[in-house]
Amino acid sequence: MENGDRSNSLSRRQLLQMIGSTAGSAAMYQAMSSLGFAAESPYQGPIDLQGAPKGASVLILGAGMAGMTAAYELRSAGYKVQVLEYNGRPGGRNWTLRGGDRYTEMGGLTQQCEFDKDLYINPGPWRIPYHHHGMMHYAKRLGIALEPFLQVNYNAYIHSSQAFGGKPQRFREVKADYQGHVAELLAKATRQNSLDASVTKEDQEILLESLREWGALDKNFAYVASDAVSDRRGYEKSPGGGLSAKPIPSKPVALRDLLESGLWQGIPSGDAFDMQTALFQPAGGMGRIGEAFGRELGPLIRYNSKVIDIHQDAAGVTVTFADTVSPESKQSAHADWCLCTIPLPVLAQIPMNVGQRMAAAISAVPYAAAIKVGLQFKRRFWEEDEHIFGGITYTDLPIMNIGYPNTGFQSGGKGVLLGAYIWGLSAMQFTAMTPQERVQKVVEYGSQIHPQYHKEFDNGVAVAWHRAPFSLGCFGMWTSDTRAKHYEDLCQIDGRIALAGEHASYIGGWQEGAVTSALDAIGRLHQRAVAQGAKA
Amino acid sequence: MRILILLLIAAAASASADSPSFTSRAAIGSLNGEQIYDHICQGCHMSGAQGAVGAGAYPKLAANKKFVSWEFVALTVLNGRNGMPPFGQPANQEPSRATHLTDAQIADVVNYVRSHFENKYKTNVTANQVAALPHPAAELIGPQ
Repeated sequence: MENGDRSNSLSRRQLLQMIGSTAGSAAMYQAMSSLGFAAESPYQGPIDLQGAPKGASVLILGAGMAGMTAAYELRSAGYKVQVLEYNGRPGGRNWTLRGGDRYTEMGGLTQQCEFDKDLYINPGPWRIPYHHHGMMHYAKRLGIALEPFLQVNYNAYIHSSQAFGGKPQRFREVKADYQGHVAELLAKATRQNSLDASVTKEDQEILLESLREWGALDKNFAYVASDAVSDRRGYEKSPGGGLSAKPIPSKPVALRDLLESGLWQGIPSGDAFDMQTALFQPAGGMGRIGEAFGRELGPLIRYNSKVIDIHQDAAGVTVTFADTVSPESKQSAHADWCLCTIPLPVLAQIPMNVGQRMAAAISAVPYAAAIKVGLQFKRRFWEEDEHIFGGITYTDLPIMNIGYPNTGFQSGGKGVLLGAYIWGLSAMQFTAMTPQERVQKVVEYGSQIHPQYHKEFDNGVAVAWHRAPFSLGCFGMWTSDTRAKHYEDLCQIDGRIALAGEHASYIGGWQEGAVTSALDAIGRLHQRAVAQGAKA
Repeated sequence: MRILILLLIAAAASASADSPSFTSRAAIGSLNGEQIYDHICQGCHMSGAQGAVGAGAYPKLAANKKFVSWEFVALTVLNGRNGMPPFGQPANQEPSRATHLTDAQIADVVNYVRSHFENKYKTNVTANQVAALPHPAAELIGPQ
């Protein structure tokens, strides 16, 4: 009956929602990975801009990844380049907070980062997938040393406050048990001839053998405690040398407990295209790339410059700006062309004479709330006590992620971990707190996973992206609907003005989006400049 | 399951109005207008609805003349404005992941901000009035 069906489907939906809220971060993570970021970077190798008209000039707004990529390439091509940047540093969201740094968020609250020397967090991007060819290219060109970023650590945790008594489970155990149980079920179905319609008899033999190998099943195709299974999920007592070296196998978790825990949602965390090994991080922090770009461009960048008006006419583009140190005096800069990389929530508030279509696109993209919290501890207990070297723990607690440092392993002294990486409504709630409250809350929640937090906590910093004065958000959030309506209008050159940044890309929220959108935009600006000849 | 529901109710009850402590995602659905302001809106519009200025600005909601139109406020909360994310439930989509506010909650927070922070508008907007306004077309695609 229709009624019966409906109530049945409702309860299923409720169950799934409940699972979603128990293993929330992993589930959202997965959903997000499957929502269309799996496109290979369009980066085609170094851009070749030949025949720049003599004396042609480009004014670039924003010294983030997009703006500095453009400045670097346009300068090489012979353009006269100037960059205006709101912050007093290069990089934009490519940014590392280190001991001694100060950061003032919107609303005026200032944090002083008190980390020890060489310890840091990346409040913005923190990883570079190997196939982000544009980022890899510029890191190499700028002489940036890269370290591996450990996306998947089998000894890190998947945690649900609602399962296994709130005790975090090792990724290794969850993965081995899930895989083992699924293999056993599928083997059973095969041997009961349930798959006869879809798999030939010969292939069933192959399938069974592959399942035995994939799931570490025994000779009867069962997933039960054994040396082979412990070799996947770890031993009760690991093998060693000498007397009393004999290993004791561990016991798998029952299928039912595993399914109901929702922890399986954390298993594919390294399977998404953007998360697949190898990933990298710059030694010393992601901000090293922005800093190196800044050094390279030197006096081309004018810092502390707040853009207040952008005007184009037949003679070129004039940008009015205020120096944030002495805001009363307005100044202006002029060029033939303008590449504007200002994040959309800021740009939407700046008067700019572009067509209605581009203006509508600029106002159509909401920006994500995201929070990152760096915590310094008196010792690296996650390594010393729990043998977690790098990687990420996923939890249903509002902190969502704990990121362990992928560098400085076994070094003495203090250590900094990423105590929280939060998005969505939870991030908005953390944004509404003071930085001190955020840090305190993150320590409180994190201690449910690492009880050492209470004793070892030293100090912390919390960056809430909706309060970042230079971007008013973390990155642009598109839907297929807004893409269809506005994306092309955002990317089309309007007269003498082109936009670039992660918001003008299909690799949203990634630096590669900024780099490839900048290269695409300057390629098209260059064509126009060449077509218009020596003096625009 | 029963235990989880009880926990959620407890979390909602402990959501204090004037100190923004944390409310679980699932319990967001039971926040009233004042709590929604303190837990969510305040992140950008700040304490006392004073707004804030950086490279761009978050508007001051206190003593805001645009609030004469309740539709303006409700449409902003529902669909966002510039970089501000939409909080309305997407039309024709099942509720998911508790990332939205209900029409009743949106009515409540609209009534709250229009009658506080030196705003003195008395109209009592209802969930039905909010429901009749355009809602977001689709789920937003989130971060990495």
